[in-house]
Amino acid sequence: MQLALSEDQTQVLDFIDTLARPYASVPMHDASLVLESADLDAALVESGFLDVMAVEELGPVTAALVVEKLARLPFAIEAAASVMVRPLIDLALPRPLCLVEEGRIGGPVRFLRPGASVVVVGPSGVRSFMADAGIIAAAQVDTLYAYPAAFLTGLPDCMTSHDVDAAEVLRAWRVAVAAEAAGLLAAALAATVAYVSDRKQFGRPLATFQGMRHRLAEDQVMTNSVHWLALRAAGTGSRGDAALALLHAQEAAKQVCYDYHQFLGGMGMTLEHPLHLWTYRLKLLTAELGGRGEQGLAASDALWG
Amino acid sequence: MQFEWTPEQDAFRHKIRDFLEANLTGDWEKFSEHGPASPALTAFAREFCVKLAEAGILFPHWPVEMGGEGLGPWEQQILAEEMWIAGEPRGGQYMNVNWIGPTLQKYGTPEQKARYLEPITRGQSLWCQGFSEPDAGSDLAALRTRAELRDGSYVINGQKIWTSYAGLADTCFLLTRTSDDRKKGITIILVPMDTPGITVRQIPSLIGEGDIHEVFFDDVTVPETARFGDEGQAWEIVAYSLRNERLGIPRFTLARAALDRAVAMLQGESRFAREHVRIEAARCAALCEAAATANYAVVQKRVDGLSIGAESSSARYATVMAERAVCEFVVEFVPQALAGASPYLKMHHQRGIVAGVAAGSAEIQLNIIASDVLELPREPR
Repeated sequence: MQLALSEDQTQVLDFIDTLARPYASVPMHDASLVLESADLDAALVESGFLDVMAVEELGPVTAALVVEKLARLPFAIEAAASVMVRPLIDLALPRPLCLVEEGRIGGPVRFLRPGASVVVVGPSGVRSFMADAGIIAAAQVDTLYAYPAAFLTGLPDCMTSHDVDAAEVLRAWRVAVAAEAAGLLAAALAATVAYVSDRKQFGRPLATFQGMRHRLAEDQVMTNSVHWLALRAAGTGSRGDAALALLHAQEAAKQVCYDYHQFLGGMGMTLEHPLHLWTYRLKLLTAELGGRGEQGLAASDALWG
Repeated sequence: MQFEWTPEQDAFRHKIRDFLEANLTGDWEKFSEHGPASPALTAFAREFCVKLAEAGILFPHWPVEMGGEGLGPWEQQILAEEMWIAGEPRGGQYMNVNWIGPTLQKYGTPEQKARYLEPITRGQSLWCQGFSEPDAGSDLAALRTRAELRDGSYVINGQKIWTSYAGLADTCFLLTRTSDDRKKGITIILVPMDTPGITVRQIPSLIGEGDIHEVFFDDVTVPETARFGDEGQAWEIVAYSLRNERLGIPRFTLARAALDRAVAMLQGESRFAREHVRIEAARCAALCEAAATANYAVVQKRVDGLSIGAESSSARYATVMAERAVCEFVVEFVPQALAGASPYLKMHHQRGIVAGVAAGSAEIQLNIIASDVLELPREPR
């Protein structure tokens, strides 16, 4: 057991901080429903941060740390699938990478656009294709989820089969989403803490009222444990750990998203404050891979048969 | 980062398990239903801890100069986990090796060390902790039990409550008030429990017979040399002790073991196929593992020699959540467990329901997280 960051890990995270600094905040009154940055994406690709998992001395825990770190940014970046799942399938698959479950292709698919790699995972194995405009239906323009998303209208007749265990891909997918959720939870908590520490009512900051303090503290406990469970699942490679990590992340997301919008009051209903960029991503992640119940069943199978 | 135990740590865990298997025989599981402070378990622990001492696993984490092996915080954690999962066969003596011994070593006079450390290392002493009072629970600094220095002796008057082990303890680590200065007026006195003027009254409870007590002090007189540290130094010494015991009992390990037992019972009755039961069990497991990782993150800080701050409160609150979830799971899905069908699950329940109250309430942990982890502006007082 050794839970301190290695020197390499500290260095990677510091580099990302430096690279992402211009993108770390978003001007108030300028937060749209979705924020993306092609420049940031290109910089991340160029720097190699999306390929850390394949580097021997870095590996899956560092990959999870990178995903967590990038998820804290107000800009939506397709990192989780590319960093943590793509290495298992084919590192040459073009980004963005969109993961969908066989038999469940009806939901909004994050980052889906022409040219994206769509990976279909399920009982028939792991198959992929490059999306073209003919198979994509746009989501409503003012979709709330804070991710660029679209729908698949079907699957092509011809897909590339990958010689990889679907269960293994599902495991990595769960860890990747848990790590992304950990970053979103941390960023949403920080944004809420800043707001309630500043906003005064009855002559004092909202954060001085115990009704709010205790709930924020409980949210911190959940956020902290999602972080550690995601890293542990990345480190152990266990299917049970992966399912538990995503289950806990989805449980946490439900709890905190409600709290944070509640604490921001009217401001939390506006686009002026960036809170929704994290919470509405979290909300979509609560539906990932069938939601909490599915992770619960997967964990139960892994732990107790 | 490495989330697996090293081979050495695994070997240490197995050494403890083998010892427990060899020495907790017969009807131990049924026996462990007796709370850690019960007369039965206390008497058992007096023999058991002698064997632990002989096997070198009573205090291996103590520094070499104290007679230990100088093993690190991970080994201390593993030792605590294995003992707690087994039902804590050390009874109240776990306190001795976790914090009373190290605190005696740091702050005790030569006479105090000579008198108290040696019986601890033989597994032959039992302490109780005279902290809480009827009007000083979470607000510990409000305590009023008074110690007055008269002609070279302290005369103690007052009352303590919720005192575990008081009925059978040899010595009380007693917090007293020696001046009106709120925190700086508190002084520790080591009081032999057979001193005239001490009355112990058991409080019937849900958590097992003989577990908690009221302790009355009526003109209890001890020599001035019984004072531990200086007058007014108690707050500093207790803070030091807590650094040795910051995480408290690794309850999440027993909660997880209890959950596995409950699932096994359900499987035995072919009742674990229903999806809602499986999902709820997984939710409990996630909370247990969440607590484990949060606690381990704090242990890592100890390993690295970093000071441990409010993140230990976050870890403790995660543990409370896990305990609550597992206690509720058992009651909802295997209610017969608490009515005779599983001594182990009843033992867990009785220990688990205290998690949010003992050693600093869950709400106090939340206050600490709010102020010191989230750094929210302070509440007006």
